[in-house]
Amino acid sequence: MKASVEWLKDYADIDVNAKELGDILTMTGSKVETIDVTGEDIKNVVVGKILEIQKHPDADKLVVTKVDVKDEILQIVTGANNIKVGDIVPIAKDGAELPGGVKIKTGKLRGVDSCGMMCSVGELGLNLADYPEQIEHGIMILSAEMEKNLGKDIVEVLDLKEQVIDFEITPNRPDCLSIEGLGRETAVSLNVSFKNPHKDIEKEAVEDKKELDGLRVDIEAPDLCYRYIARMVKNVKIGPSPKWMKKRLAACGVRSINNIVDITNYVMLEMGQPMHAFDINSISGKHIIVRRAKNGEKITTLDEQERQLDETMLVISDQEKPVAIAGVMGGLNSEIEDNTQTVVFESAVFNGGNVRKTAKKVGLRTEASSRYEKGLSPENAIRAVNRAVQLVVEIGAGEEVKGKVDVYPTKQQTPKVKLDVNRINKLIGLDVSEQEMIAILEKLEMTIKEENGEKYVIPPYFRTDIEHVADLAEEVLRFYGYDKLPTTLIKADTTLGVKTKKQKIEDDLKQLLIAKGLSQICTYGFLSESDLQKAGIEITQETIRIKNPLSEDYTIMRTSTIPSMMQTLSFNNAKKNKDVGLFDISRIYINKNEEIQKGNVPQEETILTIGIYGEDADFYIIKGIVENVLELSGVSRYDIRREEQKLSFHPGRTANVNIGTDVIATFGEAHPMIIENYGILQKVVIAQINIDKIVKYAKSTKKYTEIPKFPASTRDIAVIVAEDIEVAQIERIIQKTAKKILESLELFDVYRDEKIGKNKKSVAYALTFRVKERTLNDEEVNVVMDQIIQNLEKELSAELRK
Amino acid sequence: MEQQIKKAQENAKSEITASEELSTLNDVRVKYLGKKGELTAILRGMGALTPEERPVIGELVNKVRDELEELIAQKEREFKQKQLNARLANEKIDITMPSKKTVLGSIHPINKIIDEVKEIFLGMGYQIADGPEVETSYYNFDQLNTPQDHPARDLQDTFYITEDVILRTQTSPVQARVMENQKPPIKIICPGAVYRSDAVDATHSPVFHQIEGLVVDRDISMADLKGTLEMFVKNCLGKDTKIRFRPHHFPFTEPSAEADVSCFVCGGKGCRVCKNEGWIELLGCGMVHPNVLTNCGIDPKEYSGFAFGFGVERIAMAKYGIEDMRLLYENDVRFLKQF
Repeated sequence: MKASVEWLKDYADIDVNAKELGDILTMTGSKVETIDVTGEDIKNVVVGKILEIQKHPDADKLVVTKVDVKDEILQIVTGANNIKVGDIVPIAKDGAELPGGVKIKTGKLRGVDSCGMMCSVGELGLNLADYPEQIEHGIMILSAEMEKNLGKDIVEVLDLKEQVIDFEITPNRPDCLSIEGLGRETAVSLNVSFKNPHKDIEKEAVEDKKELDGLRVDIEAPDLCYRYIARMVKNVKIGPSPKWMKKRLAACGVRSINNIVDITNYVMLEMGQPMHAFDINSISGKHIIVRRAKNGEKITTLDEQERQLDETMLVISDQEKPVAIAGVMGGLNSEIEDNTQTVVFESAVFNGGNVRKTAKKVGLRTEASSRYEKGLSPENAIRAVNRAVQLVVEIGAGEEVKGKVDVYPTKQQTPKVKLDVNRINKLIGLDVSEQEMIAILEKLEMTIKEENGEKYVIPPYFRTDIEHVADLAEEVLRFYGYDKLPTTLIKADTTLGVKTKKQKIEDDLKQLLIAKGLSQICTYGFLSESDLQKAGIEITQETIRIKNPLSEDYTIMRTSTIPSMMQTLSFNNAKKNKDVGLFDISRIYINKNEEIQKGNVPQEETILTIGIYGEDADFYIIKGIVENVLELSGVSRYDIRREEQKLSFHPGRTANVNIGTDVIATFGEAHPMIIENYGILQKVVIAQINIDKIVKYAKSTKKYTEIPKFPASTRDIAVIVAEDIEVAQIERIIQKTAKKILESLELFDVYRDEKIGKNKKSVAYALTFRVKERTLNDEEVNVVMDQIIQNLEKELSAELRK
Repeated sequence: MEQQIKKAQENAKSEITASEELSTLNDVRVKYLGKKGELTAILRGMGALTPEERPVIGELVNKVRDELEELIAQKEREFKQKQLNARLANEKIDITMPSKKTVLGSIHPINKIIDEVKEIFLGMGYQIADGPEVETSYYNFDQLNTPQDHPARDLQDTFYITEDVILRTQTSPVQARVMENQKPPIKIICPGAVYRSDAVDATHSPVFHQIEGLVVDRDISMADLKGTLEMFVKNCLGKDTKIRFRPHHFPFTEPSAEADVSCFVCGGKGCRVCKNEGWIELLGCGMVHPNVLTNCGIDPKEYSGFAFGFGVERIAMAKYGIEDMRLLYENDVRFLKQF
């Protein structure tokens, strides 16, 4: 909401500058967004009259002029060609300053003295649109009557000085979407009295009529329209508004249209009540009906757009057709025309939520709708319409038709809130006396009423936001001073600040992963359909789609973190970053069992994703990291099983970590096709680890096992097996055969050679045998070794390598 | 015989002194003290001496032997020391050569801030709560005193999945979920991603992170809120950081405030980060609205509470001097490794 300081001065004596005023109002809750000061940067520019124009002796395009600026006659050289002798023009004298830091000094132009400059609209920092009679590339020609101001400061003469403050008004204060409301806040904030210049219209008794010169009003939807007042003016002369009104409108960012439309806008800005003006002739049957629209009904609004209506929307209609979308915008069919003679002013209050919904549906958020949707006071509506009629008469735009049609089915409720001084003080943590509180509240035009020894606060009609004791606390604090709020610490029972198991595991894992050289990334939870496809992730019933996505890039909540990881790796690869290792702890979103359709939230899982490319990127590196993750989290007794189905992964180089049938992680090389999709010309390995499942299976309890006292026996064994035998098969046989006496086995060599044979490999292990209670003797170990060899021969056709 | 001993002694001594390496020294030992050495031979020949001479000579020989042994040992130590010195000198390396360290990874700056904030509040007895990102409008809005068609819903452009299910626009719904499930005293913070329909540019992102705080107990006041936040900002942003409250409005708090902190980049003198104002708008906060408490089954007459929430990106960007928000989500390792 923009407000000019000049207009605010109608309501409060302001003796501080705009910046200070802005600071004070910010601290009482009307936050300043910007302050726009015009006219301050124009100095020593005066009104002058051209007395003489001569050709420049040495330049075809220049002329030498003599200009009267009252105290002296100046010689000025100019290149302008829109001037003639007798013109009144703005003259920047020697030492003048113009917007943008331009300084004017006496000098020579092609050898001829020039003691100043004639100014154009742009050079004065003015908006050409505000001066339609002026041209862009030419000197600003002032009206002939300006001759009386010869030598006077142009800023004064054209009334250019203006300070406009733009406030951020919070949705609870629709009353502050008006100069009056801001004026009231200003007065209380500056601790000066609130001057209400329109008290007269509150006292004015306007007769209630059923019919006003034949005009009737009916509200068919009283749930959506709380009050509808119509007043009329006749013998209207449509024309431009007076300058002062145009100026105030412009300061608030409203374009001037004609006197009647301007009055409706002016009153809205002044009092916060949106108004509408109809030409009586366009209201068929002179009957205004406030009703729900019919499905399929259409209206062309003032902006010349055809709008589709439906039965959830409220319209103002006559006997035949809608003439306005209630609270949003009027219809073109009832617009004020140049020949309009009788005008109906509408001042109504509609259901805020409904206006908001309608405005959204028709895609039209207007100054009116943005006020209505916050909930306006029906008591203000009558003031506004009376003010509009008063203005019409005041500026001579027409004559008042006595009386009003006022349909007011639902009277505004006046709440009363108990003034609980103790609770207010407890809530804010201050010790403000009842007297001080009452003083503040009364300044805000609240009434204090005593009932049965208790004090109650009755807010004024325009404060629709005061309902609770907490609201009173805020009002007290606002004007007692937020800056006077002390800082105290909570006096309450001690609570324990501890991390959950999941938080602990996540934090531990982050430390592990950075020690492994991986950098954490941060990615969006949504992506596009093609992002998923590119990474080999299928779209299913469980994929969640965003109804109103920002763009095609973010339409789907991800069901896999692989696309985000691949995209990030691809980005780094494109930046030529070598050997990149990343991790991401983030979420996936799965609509299991159609929970969303039932109005519930979907399943969200936390996934640790690791992605690496570069020299070291191979299956066994990622396998090692995954095993470290499991080890550090306290997950043991898992199986690593081959995974051949997942489309994102290389079918021969991928594994799952299983606990029973539960897959808690998948890792391996990204599928070559997927890597190609992302334009990364090197191997990429990826792991996805489900943190929620890790947390489920992790055991955090540790128990000490005695360090062995008796020595171990070690044996090496190397066997030749077929290439397609997995080492795990060999290991299972060794473990099964050796049983308890095998302490550990370590693969130390895999060797391939022609001598061994084609499609064969030699696998070598170091085995450690030990029992807890005694030293094993060689014989025992030898027996076991023989059995191991026999079983390997039998089950895997292995042969012992000697 | 005495003469003979003395002579051997002198010879041996001069040979020990003269020897220049361990092997010659060893030769000397063998020559005089070995099984067939001169002194050993003398000792063997003692049988020919008179009983009176025997102890005298014996003592002399032993004395000389001890002396020689000591001399040899001393010489040996000298040699070893020399050898060690030579080896150490030889083994000198260029300590400025690169190490064999593993390259460390890094924590994302957003998480770094979140972790810091978590630590501070854990220390103050807060729990860390968590909630869904795909949230119902019931928790995101209705329970937070922002019913359907409330104008405050327009303040945040919401992504919808259905009419009732949305992407949370704030971490505040976690408040409502916690209050429904937990009796006071409640002290939580909730960090997490939130979604608003803002196009990506240098200062906007449709996904960003917030940290929400909530305390509900008996007699919690707005002054407690200010005190808590002051303690937080001093810990997180520097011990000289000042905090200032301005009135504001949020549907779920009353009274509400916006809190500014003295610029932690320039210390309040005025710089680009604080747009020369000396203050940075940091967070929104207030006393939990009585309607919200009631909605969540907590009696506002018995309990009161405060809540606050702030954007993580904003702090990360100001604290680390990051000027473009997009850097946070591009995840270029050259950027990431700086943290």
